[in-house]
Amino acid sequence: MIRKELVAASAEPMILSLLARGEGYGYAIIQEVKARSGGKLQWTDGMLYPVLHRMETRGLIKSRWGESETGRKRKYYSLKKDGKLAMSQHHEQWSLVQSVLAGLQKGQYV
Amino acid sequence: MFDLEAAIAGWRMQMLAAGIKTPVPLDELEFHVREEIERQVKSGLNTPQAFAAAVQQIGQANALKQEFEKAERTFMKRTLIILAGILGVLLGMALIMPAAHLYKEQGMMHNAVVGFSWGIPIVLFGVGTAVFGLKRRKA
Repeated sequence: MIRKELVAASAEPMILSLLARGEGYGYAIIQEVKARSGGKLQWTDGMLYPVLHRMETRGLIKSRWGESETGRKRKYYSLKKDGKLAMSQHHEQWSLVQSVLAGLQKGQYV
Repeated sequence: MFDLEAAIAGWRMQMLAAGIKTPVPLDELEFHVREEIERQVKSGLNTPQAFAAAVQQIGQANALKQEFEKAERTFMKRTLIILAGILGVLLGMALIMPAAHLYKEQGMMHNAVVGFSWGIPIVLFGVGTAVFGLKRRKA
């Protein structure tokens, strides 16, 4: 079971990385994360939306209302320039943490 | 006979009662619930079970409301910091400009010095606060 602090910390970089591939909507984002993690990363679905809301107010992503295949209103999100920058910074930081942990396991320095 | 639309309407009422706003984010959450119900039905659950599972996955209304409020509070706090900075700049300028005028037009050195010595630090403090608020807004 992944610790909830780690799930919370990784939410933003994951969302940014997914949106870097193209526009997406909340439900699809959650399903993608579940599929990619083999079900090990389980977000409480509703909690994604406050995170998206926060990222939008910070200017990292933007949204638009569109229509689904069934004609229902659906909110699509896409990455903004500041979001791309934030994503790069997240990747750098997570890579560093991962390198240090991997190095510690092998008794090496980064 | 299970009435899905009535069940969703009831769920919406609960969300509204807990303070989740409409249309944002409630319409988005409703869409998510409907998508999840469809997925659960396709995977073999009956409609009432699918509805219960979808609603559970969305989470409790109060917990959601707290998370949305947290996001809004953070945004408001940072916006207020930026506004405080701008006010500081304006206040400082309100002290500097009359002081400059007094010195230039009337040679009143003492009053000018008082104006500058208060105004300049206040402007600098205001600029610093606004920049801090802007940087924090992105964080």
